[in-house]
Amino acid sequence: MSNTRNTRVESALQSLLERLVPQQYHNESEADAERRWEDANVLARNLVNAEPESGTVEDVNLAADLIKEKLLRGGTERRDLERATSFGNLYSRLLSQPVLGQKWGILYFLHRIGEDDGIENGDAQRASQQEAFDEMEVDEPVELGRKSTAKKTSYDDAFARDGLPRMPRAEGPKSPRPPPVRDRPVPTRQKSVPEAKPPQQAQSAAPNQAKPGESALLRDLPFTLQGLSSNNLPFGDDLALKLPANLPTPLVSLLHTLAEPALLYKSLSQFVESEDVGGLVSQSLRSAIGTELRSYLSLVAQLEGQIRRALQQLDDNLPNGGLGKAGVTLKRLVVWTRDATTGLRLMSLIVESAKGKKGGELISLIHSFAISHGDPFVHSFAERLLSNITKPFYNMLRAWIYDGELEDPYQEFFVFENRDDRDGMGVGAMSVWEHKYALQSAMIPSIMNADLANRVFLIGKSLNFIRYSCGDSAWVEKHSRDASRELSYSDPASLYSSIDSAYSTVMARLLSLMEDKFALFTHLTALKKYLLLGSGDFIGLLMESLADNLDQPANSQYRHTLTAQLEHAIRNSNAQYDDVDVLRRLDARMLELSHGEIGWDVFTLEYRIDSPLDVIVTPWASKQYLKVFNFLWRVKRVQFALGTTWRRCMTGARGVLGAVSDKLGEDWKVARGAMAEMIHFIDQLQWYILFEVIEAGWEGLQKAIRKPDATLDTLITAHTSYLRAITRKGLLGGGHIDFPSQLHELLKLILAYKDAIDSLWSHSVDEFGRRQERAAKIETRTKAGRWGLTEADDDMNSSFASTSINRRSTREGEIDSPIPPLIPLPGGPAAVAGNEAAILDHLRLRLKTLRGDFKTKITALLGDLRSQPDTDMRFLGVVMNFNDVYQPATRRRARTGEPARAKA
Amino acid sequence: MPPMNDPEAKKRAARETIDILHEISTLLNTDLDRQSLSYCVSLIENGVNPEALAAVIKELRARQERDEARLGA
Repeated sequence: MSNTRNTRVESALQSLLERLVPQQYHNESEADAERRWEDANVLARNLVNAEPESGTVEDVNLAADLIKEKLLRGGTERRDLERATSFGNLYSRLLSQPVLGQKWGILYFLHRIGEDDGIENGDAQRASQQEAFDEMEVDEPVELGRKSTAKKTSYDDAFARDGLPRMPRAEGPKSPRPPPVRDRPVPTRQKSVPEAKPPQQAQSAAPNQAKPGESALLRDLPFTLQGLSSNNLPFGDDLALKLPANLPTPLVSLLHTLAEPALLYKSLSQFVESEDVGGLVSQSLRSAIGTELRSYLSLVAQLEGQIRRALQQLDDNLPNGGLGKAGVTLKRLVVWTRDATTGLRLMSLIVESAKGKKGGELISLIHSFAISHGDPFVHSFAERLLSNITKPFYNMLRAWIYDGELEDPYQEFFVFENRDDRDGMGVGAMSVWEHKYALQSAMIPSIMNADLANRVFLIGKSLNFIRYSCGDSAWVEKHSRDASRELSYSDPASLYSSIDSAYSTVMARLLSLMEDKFALFTHLTALKKYLLLGSGDFIGLLMESLADNLDQPANSQYRHTLTAQLEHAIRNSNAQYDDVDVLRRLDARMLELSHGEIGWDVFTLEYRIDSPLDVIVTPWASKQYLKVFNFLWRVKRVQFALGTTWRRCMTGARGVLGAVSDKLGEDWKVARGAMAEMIHFIDQLQWYILFEVIEAGWEGLQKAIRKPDATLDTLITAHTSYLRAITRKGLLGGGHIDFPSQLHELLKLILAYKDAIDSLWSHSVDEFGRRQERAAKIETRTKAGRWGLTEADDDMNSSFASTSINRRSTREGEIDSPIPPLIPLPGGPAAVAGNEAAILDHLRLRLKTLRGDFKTKITALLGDLRSQPDTDMRFLGVVMNFNDVYQPATRRRARTGEPARAKA
Repeated sequence: MPPMNDPEAKKRAARETIDILHEISTLLNTDLDRQSLSYCVSLIENGVNPEALAAVIKELRARQERDEARLGA
């Protein structure tokens, strides 16, 4: 302490005291006044000469903050805010003033002086201060002070002990009475300090021993930052850091800030070292975080170097060990570790939210930080993490799109293998394509969009399919050798392009395999040709040769006969020029007997499709083909039967029928009309199905298949929709209107009508025969010179009739008749013989009913067709009823009209 | 602190500083007049412990109050 300073202090103090201590009260003795002056002087000197020792936080900002806080303490009232604002202005002006060397001191001084006002416990405070200075004072207010101690410790710590110079201890030469070192905490105001508070005892006992200085703390901090316990800052058992007791609040808060990276580091390193295997992506997350932690550790190492250097420069003489000058303080450390702390915090956030997630979800999670976070730091950090984490993912992706193999031991990829289905499905191509792998949309990482993921899925699936179902693993290997490329997150453009190129290569290969090796289109054509009755000569021949056979009951059908007839039909039609492979697959067989009673009902053609084509022609598709075939077959058969009958009528019209036209001519006329109606119906139906439905569908299928970017999936969907269109438009679909059963009824009616006509025919033939016989007899008798007709002829007549009936029934058996004899003949043939006329009446009635039924049904059908949304189907209705013969009603009206017509 | 070679400028700066401080002190209700404040500032500038100084001033005020109460009564 220099002399000039002393004198300056002295004079300033004197003048200050003069202003503060009143000269003499009017009723006060001079001695008293003198004593008062002395006291004041002593007091002032004692205090003032107490040199600030160390541990002072000489921070002008801290003092300013204290003042601001104080100003604002009254709440957020307007006045307070204004005062705080004006203080802020003044403060910034003060800072710009170059004159003062101890700005913090002055501010702090003002702060302390100003504390008097507006503090509730001002009395207690003053009392305790007083007590500190004046031992003669009674201890009474101390109780108060102590009571508030517990609450206020932390704050007191901050300002009474360490943050600011302590009370004078050493006796200066001028101090006659050393003030007692009681060191009561000075209660100032309440402030709650969260978490990890040092234990509150040992406060008043020996604060100076328990308190580690900032330098000591600094020395320990590098260890703390690495998650290691140190003397002053031991770690608790589970992620907790114990702060030493008796630290001032600013230090405590700094240490809190510094404890964050330490604790985060500790928990993260636990995560990194944890043993549980969470999948490849989590493993790589772990390793990426490990890398980040290493860079954090290197930062800590740098810090440690800085701290060491600073601690070596420490000068014990300077206040606070001259730490501020050495350049390393706790605050600096906070600043230096700030970025690292953010990184650690982010990582711990990631680790927390990554719990229970794996693979794609995990990548999506981190990717969401990379794309949707506004903070560029977070963004770049997440990007960095991503480039590491996605490595196993890209390896999987690579194996998948180049080898078609799923290298995914932990089910992290967005494609997963369906293991359960395998035994149930067999190992057919269908299962490889449809069921072996599945796309898991939740696992698609957000770095890929759904479209791309779908492509990737298709690529791998196709490769797999080529390898396992098409038996072309050589190509797959070649592909993987040629095209394989390193994929990484950092280069999305090349990723997309390589996925695209792989996609197009694989798809093209798969299609060409399908086309060339497995002759997909040949088979599709064959299916259309044979099952959809595309080649008429073959079907006609088959039907002709099978007709007799199929009239037999279903249980007397033998497969070998059918196949023999099939062979016959093939040999004698254009089918013989077809591919051997195609013909080999064609097979005739019978459905289960439950389908019907006679051969027609159970006969079916089959076209065997094997792996891998059954991916396209699925079992479902085969069933649809079968359904269409059966329907067409039935239509064809009705047409065939009608044609036969029609031919007979036409040829017979000139001979047999012409002879009996006097008796049956009217019947035949009506019957021919009805038959023509039916033939028209059948022809239109068949024409519609073959040309409007099947051919149009086929056209669409061809177009879809020839599309340049076709994939196997396109083929499958195209084929499926082709079949769907056929079944729907072909009146076989199960819409809300039941076309199949309507058509079935109609066809049944037609067949029944045809049988009735056959009966009529045989009846006519009988009649004709009888007449001829009679004529011949008359002729013979006339030649013999007898009467042409005698009474005995009547008897002859009856016996002849019975034989003719017999003959007719045998003939009827030859003609195809799925329906049992139409007219339940009353009694035996003998009775029939007598009831020739009755039979004819029955026949006529039957024909009439059938005709009426047919008309009703077709009207209903036309009504339904008219209400169809599909133009083709409406068109069918128009074609069938081109000249408005029928009066189709809408369905509702038709329904109400039906009973009326039935009554009529 | 940059040295002030111009005494006039220095004086003005000092006055300004005191002005500012005085405003702050009125904001804080310290009850110090300008003169006392400048004494305090010079004391602190000369290394007197601000906390202690504050304590002294408060103590003196308290005593005065007491004395006045005693003597006035």
